[in-house]
Amino acid sequence: MTKSTIQLTVLTIVLILAQGIVFNHICLFGVAVPLVFIYALLKLPVTLTVNWVLTIGFAIGLSVDIFSDTYGMNALACTLLAMCRRPVLRLYMPRGEEPADPVPSSASIGRSVYLKYLVTLTLLFCIFIFVIESFTFFNIWRLILRIICSAVLSVALMLGLDCLFSRRREKRL
Amino acid sequence: MRDILNFLIRSSNWILFAVYVIASCILLFSTNPFQHHVYLTSAGAVASTVYRTSNTVTGYFALRDINEDLQRRNADLEMQLLGLQQQLRDQRLQLYADTMTVDTVLSRYSFIIANVINNSINRSHNYITLEKGSADGLKPEMGVVDQNGVVGIVNVTGEHTARVISVLNPYLRLSCKVKGNQHVGSLQWDGKRHDVALLEELPRHVKFKIGDTIVTSGFSTAFPEGVPVGTVISAQKDGDDNFYSLKVRLFTDFSTLSTVRVIVDAMTEELRTVEQDITESRRKMN
Repeated sequence: MTKSTIQLTVLTIVLILAQGIVFNHICLFGVAVPLVFIYALLKLPVTLTVNWVLTIGFAIGLSVDIFSDTYGMNALACTLLAMCRRPVLRLYMPRGEEPADPVPSSASIGRSVYLKYLVTLTLLFCIFIFVIESFTFFNIWRLILRIICSAVLSVALMLGLDCLFSRRREKRL
Repeated sequence: MRDILNFLIRSSNWILFAVYVIASCILLFSTNPFQHHVYLTSAGAVASTVYRTSNTVTGYFALRDINEDLQRRNADLEMQLLGLQQQLRDQRLQLYADTMTVDTVLSRYSFIIANVINNSINRSHNYITLEKGSADGLKPEMGVVDQNGVVGIVNVTGEHTARVISVLNPYLRLSCKVKGNQHVGSLQWDGKRHDVALLEELPRHVKFKIGDTIVTSGFSTAFPEGVPVGTVISAQKDGDDNFYSLKVRLFTDFSTLSTVRVIVDAMTEELRTVEQDITESRRKMN
């Protein structure tokens, strides 16, 4: 329990720093921004209570906000995402089935369920963040393009992260 | 009483959710950027330390472009120098006739050089973080330029860091004019491309050509008159036909910003007190 907690904490801090230093400055073709830090939120154990998920989500969002000078934008989007996490998981998981490992991954909840979970939540997050951001400028086609491109890029990067971690775990075994 | 407690415990998820949403909305909709607290910005202690460390590495990435810019600027200045030397030689001949001594006027403006440690161009509201702060003499509302043109205005200052509202931020409206005449319009970013901004509210009778230079008007204490901003690339009539709005290609390349100069105006205080006197006397008259 403690080991996985420490692992998650380190992962969260590293992701927030990476988002602030590297990913925030990437903007492919002027539309796709990788939003990778939500990986930390998606990887929280299923067994964690909603209150904790909300608190951690808000804290992660606020720290990313501080790095990118976007007052409350990421905090709001992360809080909304934290609230959506459980309903989305319930939607895809077969009823009454408990995952072997509380941390959602392709090994613990099945590849297709995990992929659906990842894509849905990333898309939701991109919708939240770009809709909040575009309160002042409203250009619907550009907005949709940004949402889709960013979601695709983020999912691709997060799947890459997944491969990185799962391979390491296999080696250790 | 117990019912209330039970209710609170049962719906604690939603209550917590509402609290966080309200907290982030308060942050999000406190639209006046001047009221933001320094600890919640990139000029705060933790964020600025991280950015400073990362800048020691990434500061080298854009050197090639910056070098080119500097060389171009250097060439321009050398050309100007040659021209001025020629003029000086001509004038010195004339001055022999006059007994007037040439005064050096005490300059009103001075500069503070600062490193950029964080910068964004892809958001709808962009900010820049500098490595110098109030301890180095920076104050909010000072203008920031680089070797090419206008960059932004200082917004929040920490002790050793400061946050600048970039020109690429719709909160910033800059009073500008077409070089060579006195009619003023206001420059604002439209959120689309990081090298183009709009000069709005320019009166209809102003004469200009595509390719004309846009400079600052000097109506604020942030920038002196005539700091280059960009060139006109296209023009269109505003909604009511009485004003032009010009598309301006900015001289400053915001994607490779690394060293900037903060403009210190020695007359800021004086101007402020004078303007305050005017508003006060006007209030008394009313």
